[in-house]
Amino acid sequence: MKTKIFLTIVLALMFLIDAPSVLAQEMTKEQWQQEMSQFTAKRNDLKSKLDKLNGDIKNLQDQSKKLDGDLVACNDELLTLLGITQAEYDAFISELNGYESRVNELMRLSDEELLKYRDEILKMNGRVNEMAKHKMALIPRINDRLKKLQDNIASLMKTLDKSKTYTVGTWAKDRDCLWNIAKKKDTYNNAWMWPKIWQGNKDKIKNPDIIKPKWVLKIPAGTELTKEEKSAANSYYKKKAEAAAPVQ
Amino acid sequence: MILKNRIGTAIAVLTLSASLFIAGCTSKPSAEELRQLNDLKAEVTSLEKQIAEQERVKANLEKEVAEKNGQLKQCQTDKDAVKKATGQ
Repeated sequence: MKTKIFLTIVLALMFLIDAPSVLAQEMTKEQWQQEMSQFTAKRNDLKSKLDKLNGDIKNLQDQSKKLDGDLVACNDELLTLLGITQAEYDAFISELNGYESRVNELMRLSDEELLKYRDEILKMNGRVNEMAKHKMALIPRINDRLKKLQDNIASLMKTLDKSKTYTVGTWAKDRDCLWNIAKKKDTYNNAWMWPKIWQGNKDKIKNPDIIKPKWVLKIPAGTELTKEEKSAANSYYKKKAEAAAPVQ
Repeated sequence: MILKNRIGTAIAVLTLSASLFIAGCTSKPSAEELRQLNDLKAEVTSLEKQIAEQERVKANLEKEVAEKNGQLKQCQTDKDAVKKATGQ
């Protein structure tokens, strides 16, 4: 019994002597030296890596600053060549961005929904055509954007043209002739636009004085007559005048 | 019985002596030296963090410079095209 108590005390003492070093995972001097040299080498590597990085960053900052200056100079030169101010340039780009985004929205609409925006599309078409004649269109990337925009608007207009039709009734009942059809509120609300219907349906209408009941006529989009339409109308009026002139 | 006790006592005394010898005679770093090592480790960790941050800054700057180079090239192309178109 005594021996057991004695042995327990001895074990407890051993634990008290060695436990702190075991718990603290205490290292030997050799291990300490090894770790010191290992971490010193690592620190030195990292320091030189950091120095190199700081140098690279400084170079990049200098490059960026120089590029800022070069860009300003290049833009100034470009504006001088175009003879416009920065404000005009910005306004043009902003307008172009606006039309691009609006046309993209409109292109997502169904044909039926698109009809509601006919006037807006026509107005936009006119304005984009004007923009294409602006000096800014000399810049190739702007020109490309304008061309793409014009194509997209043309495709919208094609949808509008395709969508709007008029089925000819009889003269006796509906008094339908190109003049009267053009005068209707849901076509052009303007009788003088009749040549547009004629020119838009040349496959059917050979003589603008003759249209037949049940013909389905396309009503092309537009608020003004094109050069060709005006010219066709003038020839028509001339022929009419000649025919009406008294024979001498 | 007495012999058994003596053997037990002898073993215990020997074990205790050996333990004291092992714990006492192994060379260990001083507290100051351990502090130095800990400081060094902390410095390494801090440097690693700084490097990670500066690498991020560098990557952003590289991107920025590449973009500006692209813009400049574009501007020069525009300028050349306008010059050609206007006959200047």
